[in-house]
Amino acid sequence: MFRTSDIILIAVMVSAAAMTYAIKRDAEEQQALVRKLQVQIHTEEDTINLLKADWSLLTQPARLQKLVERYQAQLGLEPVDPRQIVQLQDLPMKTLTIEDLTGGKMVDNDKNGKDETVTGAVR
Amino acid sequence: MIGAFLKRARKDGGEGSIVVDSARKATGGRTRTRVVMTMAVFFGIYAVIAGRLVYFGFQDPDQSGPPASRVTAARPDIVDRNGEVLATDIKTSSLFAEPRHIVDADEAIEKLASVLPEIDYEQTYRKLKSGAGFVWLQRQLTPKQQAEIMQLGIPGIGFRTEKRRFYPAGSTAAYIVGLTNIDNQGISGMEKYIDSQGLSDLQLSGLADPKDLKPVKLSMDLRVQHVVHDEVSAGLERFHAVGAGAVVLSIKTGEILAMASVPDFDPNNPYNAQDKDRLNRMSAGLYEMGSTLKSFTTAMALDSGKVSLESRFDASRPLQVGRQTIHDFHGKGRVLTVPEVFIYSSNIGSAREALAVGIEGHREFLHRLGILERMQTELPEVARPTEPKVWKQVHSITIAFGHGVSTTPLQTAVGCAALMNGFLMEPTFLMRSVQEAMETAKRVVSDKTAQSMRYLYALNAEKGSGRNARVPGYRVGGKTGTAEKVVNGRYSKGKNFNAFVAAFPMDDPQYIVLTIADEPQPEKPGMGATAASNAGIMAGNIIRRSAAMLGVKPDFSHENAATLVSY
Repeated sequence: MFRTSDIILIAVMVSAAAMTYAIKRDAEEQQALVRKLQVQIHTEEDTINLLKADWSLLTQPARLQKLVERYQAQLGLEPVDPRQIVQLQDLPMKTLTIEDLTGGKMVDNDKNGKDETVTGAVR
Repeated sequence: MIGAFLKRARKDGGEGSIVVDSARKATGGRTRTRVVMTMAVFFGIYAVIAGRLVYFGFQDPDQSGPPASRVTAARPDIVDRNGEVLATDIKTSSLFAEPRHIVDADEAIEKLASVLPEIDYEQTYRKLKSGAGFVWLQRQLTPKQQAEIMQLGIPGIGFRTEKRRFYPAGSTAAYIVGLTNIDNQGISGMEKYIDSQGLSDLQLSGLADPKDLKPVKLSMDLRVQHVVHDEVSAGLERFHAVGAGAVVLSIKTGEILAMASVPDFDPNNPYNAQDKDRLNRMSAGLYEMGSTLKSFTTAMALDSGKVSLESRFDASRPLQVGRQTIHDFHGKGRVLTVPEVFIYSSNIGSAREALAVGIEGHREFLHRLGILERMQTELPEVARPTEPKVWKQVHSITIAFGHGVSTTPLQTAVGCAALMNGFLMEPTFLMRSVQEAMETAKRVVSDKTAQSMRYLYALNAEKGSGRNARVPGYRVGGKTGTAEKVVNGRYSKGKNFNAFVAAFPMDDPQYIVLTIADEPQPEKPGMGATAASNAGIMAGNIIRRSAAMLGVKPDFSHENAATLVSY
């Protein structure tokens, strides 16, 4: 009754239908995922905006000033005096001492008059 | 079609084999009836569906759900010159309920209370039982609360997001940033300016996508703005004034780095923004600026070439003009040189300087410096200065020491910046580089005059009335101005308008600071109420606190050099 070609065609048809269904289903799933991600991105963006506003609220000079006034005594805070603001070249050169040149490692003659042995080979 | 189908069936039968034919005959005409019946049943079902659709189509939908969403237009953020946010849109969600769809009101309230502990049980219960289509339960929830309520899974409630303009800086920059109305349209300050620059057209056409809107960068520095706002607020209280204000202006670019006026309002809750005393006194208030205008008189006299720094003016006797007599407040009763006229703030000397230039020259000079023109800037709240319709000699003389014309403090600051620099620049609230500023700048006084004015300002801060504004290391120069206010058509002795204009650092002026105090009282009984003792102190404090932020290097090397030159 059925010829081979019929069977092949039917098989092709069924598999095509199955494939179409699978692809469609897959596409729908992906779309749902995209939508979900979009909502997430949107929420994140809103949160970022909110946090930015929060940040600028927390770093308001007016707020910082209040905090400074409250903890002034505790933290020893003082306004900067104009005399404290200097350029690097305004700083006086530190005068060299003998310790600076030797790196602070002078022979201590008071102990036994000998350098400390560091190699371990000779005693 | 059915007929053709039947006909074909008949024809098929007719031409088929005998076996088939007999088979057809064996079942009789029943096949045909079955087909027809099946078709009838399907037709019936589809007819019912179609009819039902039409029925639903004509019915009005259920009147419930939240009201139509208000289209809140997106606005760009406003940031200061360092990118600190001054105004931004934030989304808040509000909780609503549809009582008709609420299954169990008690359970719903119980669950909501676990997230919103402050909810009013009785009121909410009444709302949920009201049978209304829509009720608000709680406005402006935090995102966390929203997520938690979502987790509860209560049927019949929902959220509506609303956009709100939020000003983190609060009242600090209220007059510059301005306000928006409930439809998110700018109604004052820079918010209004942004709308006039095409934003409202964008919003109307629905193209204002929040992502495409670039933040608007102002020239204001929030840190300096805070210092200025803090100092004028403190000054208002300390000197028991009706109003106070200050502006910090960059001389090289014309940018306004800070401007504050008190009393002001909180833009996040602007219930009092329309009050009578809530006025941006710096740009929308008109005042007779008093002695600060002597800067212009002196500069005009020097710039005309008829007067030099060595010229002398007789201030030994009061000056008689028509029926009026001009006296000196700090009279010296002798002949004064131009620097002396300036530092002793001699009314007689200034009047004689104006006389030397002439009426027309005087008027032209003030217009050239933009003191009597309506200021061109971004801020919409700008007042138009007033002047006498026809200038007579008496006008020229009174205007020489600051009475008879009213102008805005901001304009005066801009004019003083021009005296320091030689170039007049339109003040701007947006970022501008020196090159851009020089493209539109107009030369108004010669370099020699500007140099002389710098010298006079420095001298006045050293020996004259500007001593209170001195800040060690920052080479401040300045001029005071104490003007008597007009009350009922007469100059009042008790009510003053005080101003102080300071420039610093004087070896190469970068910034102008102009402070005003409206009707200040003596700080303590017995102390003075002139400009030096209130506006001058405010200016000094502002410079002390903000100079480092403005990038001015302190320098103590020539602390006394300015006065050694000629005195």
